[in-house]
Amino acid sequence: MVEYITRRLGLMVPTAFLVTVAVFLLIHLTPGDPATVILAESYTPEAGAKIHQDLGLDKPLPQQYLLYVGRLFHGDLGRSVRNKLPVTQAIGERLSATLELGFAALIWSLLIAIPLGTIAALRRGRALDVVASGLTVAGISVPNFVLGILLILFFGLLLRVLPVGGFVALGESVPDNLSRLIMPAIALGTFGTASNMRFTRSSMIEVLNQDYIRTARAKGAGWWQVVNRHALKNALIPVVTIVGLQVGAILEGALVTETVFGWPGVGKLAVESIFSKDFPVVQGIVLLSALSFMFANLVVDLVYAWLDPRISYS
Amino acid sequence: MSTAAPAYTAGEEQVVAIEERQPAGLRQLVFDHPRILIGLLLLLVLVFVALLAPWISPHNPLAVNPDDARLSPGAGHVMGTDELGRDVLSRVMWGGRISLPVAFVAVGVGLTVGSLIGLTAGYRAGVTDLLLMRLIDAILAFPALILAIALVAALGPSLRNAMIAIGIVQIPVYARLTRAQVLQLKSLDFVTAARALGASPVRIIARHMLPNLLNPLIVQVSLSAAFAMLAEATLSFLGLSAPPPTPDWGFMINTGQSFLINGDWWMTVGPGAAICVAVFGFNWLGDALRDALDPRLRR
Amino acid sequence: MRRAGILLLFALILSACGGGGGGTSTTPAGTPKTGGTLKIAQETEINTLDPNTSGLLVEREIYYNLYDSLLGIDAKLNFIPELATAWKYTDDKTLVMTLRKDVKFQDGTAFNADAVKFNLDRYMTSTDPAAARKSDLGSVQSVEVQDPATVVIHLKRADATLLAAFVDRAGMMLSPTALQQLGSKVAQTPLQAGSGPFEFVEWKRDDHLTLKRNPDYWRKDKAGHQLPYLDQIIYRPLIDLNAILASLKTADVDMARTVAGKDVDAVRSDSTLVYKATPSLGYQGFELNVSAPPFNDPAKAKAVALAVDRAQILKNVILNNGVVSYGPITPASWAYDPSEKIYDKPDPDKAKATATGFSFTLKTANTQDSIQTGQLIQAQLAKAGITVNLLPEDFGKLTLETRVQHQFDAALTGWSGRIDPDGNMYAFWHTGGSFNDGRYSNTQVDQLLEQARATTDQAKRKQIYQDAQKVVAADAVYVFVYDPVVAQISTKKVQNFTLIPDGINRLAEVWKS
Repeated sequence: MVEYITRRLGLMVPTAFLVTVAVFLLIHLTPGDPATVILAESYTPEAGAKIHQDLGLDKPLPQQYLLYVGRLFHGDLGRSVRNKLPVTQAIGERLSATLELGFAALIWSLLIAIPLGTIAALRRGRALDVVASGLTVAGISVPNFVLGILLILFFGLLLRVLPVGGFVALGESVPDNLSRLIMPAIALGTFGTASNMRFTRSSMIEVLNQDYIRTARAKGAGWWQVVNRHALKNALIPVVTIVGLQVGAILEGALVTETVFGWPGVGKLAVESIFSKDFPVVQGIVLLSALSFMFANLVVDLVYAWLDPRISYS
Repeated sequence: MSTAAPAYTAGEEQVVAIEERQPAGLRQLVFDHPRILIGLLLLLVLVFVALLAPWISPHNPLAVNPDDARLSPGAGHVMGTDELGRDVLSRVMWGGRISLPVAFVAVGVGLTVGSLIGLTAGYRAGVTDLLLMRLIDAILAFPALILAIALVAALGPSLRNAMIAIGIVQIPVYARLTRAQVLQLKSLDFVTAARALGASPVRIIARHMLPNLLNPLIVQVSLSAAFAMLAEATLSFLGLSAPPPTPDWGFMINTGQSFLINGDWWMTVGPGAAICVAVFGFNWLGDALRDALDPRLRR
Repeated sequence: MRRAGILLLFALILSACGGGGGGTSTTPAGTPKTGGTLKIAQETEINTLDPNTSGLLVEREIYYNLYDSLLGIDAKLNFIPELATAWKYTDDKTLVMTLRKDVKFQDGTAFNADAVKFNLDRYMTSTDPAAARKSDLGSVQSVEVQDPATVVIHLKRADATLLAAFVDRAGMMLSPTALQQLGSKVAQTPLQAGSGPFEFVEWKRDDHLTLKRNPDYWRKDKAGHQLPYLDQIIYRPLIDLNAILASLKTADVDMARTVAGKDVDAVRSDSTLVYKATPSLGYQGFELNVSAPPFNDPAKAKAVALAVDRAQILKNVILNNGVVSYGPITPASWAYDPSEKIYDKPDPDKAKATATGFSFTLKTANTQDSIQTGQLIQAQLAKAGITVNLLPEDFGKLTLETRVQHQFDAALTGWSGRIDPDGNMYAFWHTGGSFNDGRYSNTQVDQLLEQARATTDQAKRKQIYQDAQKVVAADAVYVFVYDPVVAQISTKKVQNFTLIPDGINRLAEVWKS
């Protein structure tokens, strides 16, 4: 096990290196000049050249990369070209909004997925299961922005029960914050709901086929008792790992969901930065999302290894 | 939320059951697993509508008609008109001619490049394997959609770049799939024998490995296509795919969103439904095929 | 039947009671109430709070409430005293300005001629790469302090546009003490740096910017009350026009400058909102690159201008909230002459006869309105056998390609407009002008524009600008499409707001009921 962990961590090093190269190249090959963004209407070639100098954009590419990596080790992700803020600060300011959204999405996904998945497992093969199956596939087939817009249409504009878009900090007003959180959380979390439900179902089915469950049943325990006392715990362990992956990839879904709802998180920042050619911010976000995804993957793999030593990793 | 929906969960090396199976005839397959039919039917409808759009669409999707702007669904326009007076139904029909080819090309790219990498890495092992797999890991390190968006943003928004970006994102799944299969089979007696007899790697791969690979690949292709359609819709929603006035479903939704507040719901619901149907079809088909073709996962 | 009738009567009576105050636009003239917070939505986030490096309209909006300028303008665009109480040209190249006494900056520093010199010198000699006020003050040779209340500006050449420059950022005065202490931080946190009605409190990027009342503001209202009335102003960069509209409806914000063209009618008929509009000083359309194919061929440029259906675009995109544009001088300007209507109605046949069978790429911004306009142009020109390829781009990239690299065929960019007609023309169409993206060069136009700068006789200038405008419009170096309106949308609680054609929210005399 230790050997496995060491090997996995070791493999992460070259991968992380390749990731930084990829992120660096990705943005530096983009056409577009950040100087025009900063200067807007006041742009002149001389002013632009000076900005290039200040940002170090006039040096050769490999040198820029080394400088970039050097700064990374100091936790310096550079400065936003739009507003001169350190990228870490720009991301940090928006992080809490995204985390709140992600957390809410997670709760939504688990709240629906686990009960439904369990029921589908118990009623396996019957009408309910097939319907649940259909819902699952539907859930992963609706793009989150389409779902978001449908929610806006229905709850926001038709029924007018929920405010559309915007953000009110938790500190300012909890009900205002929550009422604006509901729709984006559902939009973001539904994909995960479907995945989790499917996984809960299959995991639960496997567990329910175990001998100790059959023993309990033979001893006269009802299905629900069996599920609550024995099966759920064991069935959920693998689900936790899937959830871990979803957490790691939270930014992916947040990108579009935050844009649709005007939720001021890191995802919306990423989209804004992409369109305004704010290189450092895009780099920073992509890098952080890759690293957190890698980390989540690592944790998931380790949990798997711990769970099932039968799987050979040689 | 990871949308690559791999056939096998992350982290596991692929352990594919080796059986000398006769690939079931299509008719038998569908008979045993009627779910396949639903998916197939949906997709066939989609493909046919897209193919025949030039003949069956009621209007020219590009015909701008400002006097008829923003009409709600009614007599002349079953799905209403958009902000420039263009018929929404026609644009939805023609939209398939954009999204479906993107999905197919992207999956094709992922399939060919990924399989090549996987087969090479698995067969040659050693340093080649190590390097290639690190490359794959690097791609996998990024959440799929973020990588696709970043790639298109860097290369410049266009249909071609969307295909490339989504294709690149698909590579790892196929690489891992094929590599696992190769590793599995390499150690078997008949392969060792063939190698000893001097058979060329290509022949060995083609003769012995590919047939076993076919089933999981078919499943994966269907699921990949679902992801590719989702990704293309997202990219075009963000304005990173084909430029206007091309009828691209995602972009139509983006434009339509501005008009929701005015009560114009038809501009988003039409293309939205189209995307959902397409992705659902591929997902459903992939699921059904997986149930049918892969004994290990059968419940 | 009878019961239905009574019910109907009932309903009518009820609705009449409820709807009484809704339709009118005059607000009750009551006594101004002191206090309250005004929340304003902005359509973009600002970049800087330093007038020296500023380039955005939304920034100017904030500055006018933080900093005072030397001159102000009224609703008719006449100059009025602000920090300068009187000004006079003693000769073509000498401007003497008398300054207001007893004005203090928010940090206590006295406002005087030294402060004026400090600020003007700072704008003129700034080494900041983003310094943007140099061309506004390009005609200034030196600034001389005659006495604490008098400043003499020596010019290199006659310049009729200087006074207009002093209304805007180039005339904004900041406290020299604060500037020296804050250094570059003035762009983010200009604490007590201005002399305006409000002081800077805090700025949380992409979230809010807060100003609070300046208790020592020098201006009083007609009744002698200390201005401003409001306690606090909060600016919120909501960006998405739909979000802005939604926030107005729920009163999350009290005021905004723009809503999408398609929403104007809904806003007008909304009884909780007040909508004011006045013709803008700016125009919308697209520029052609006449220095390269295909538009180095004047016939092709003219063909495009002939084929565009301006009225159709005006109607479809902004629902007729504006007028068709025939040139860079708009109805809001004193130099406007409605008699000449070049390229009035679209004429695809004449366009075809002039030049046809070519194609070009029209670059637009990434906004909904731009893309919509672009597609209309595409369809209109197709009728004349001209193919248009659309390319929506990020605004920064667009500016780079047009302004710096001059690599474009056509670009859909408008102009927000300046008080002085020179600001709408010189930089764009004078040879070598800093906004002359298409590298247009016409000696007749050059001479006219230079003449107009050199004389202060408004009637003469008006005639010159008319002549210059006719040439520019006919040559179709820029295809003018429409002149929009400058609008102000607010909730019914906002009182005493005056809309000025430059679109800036001046809030000193605004109060909230």
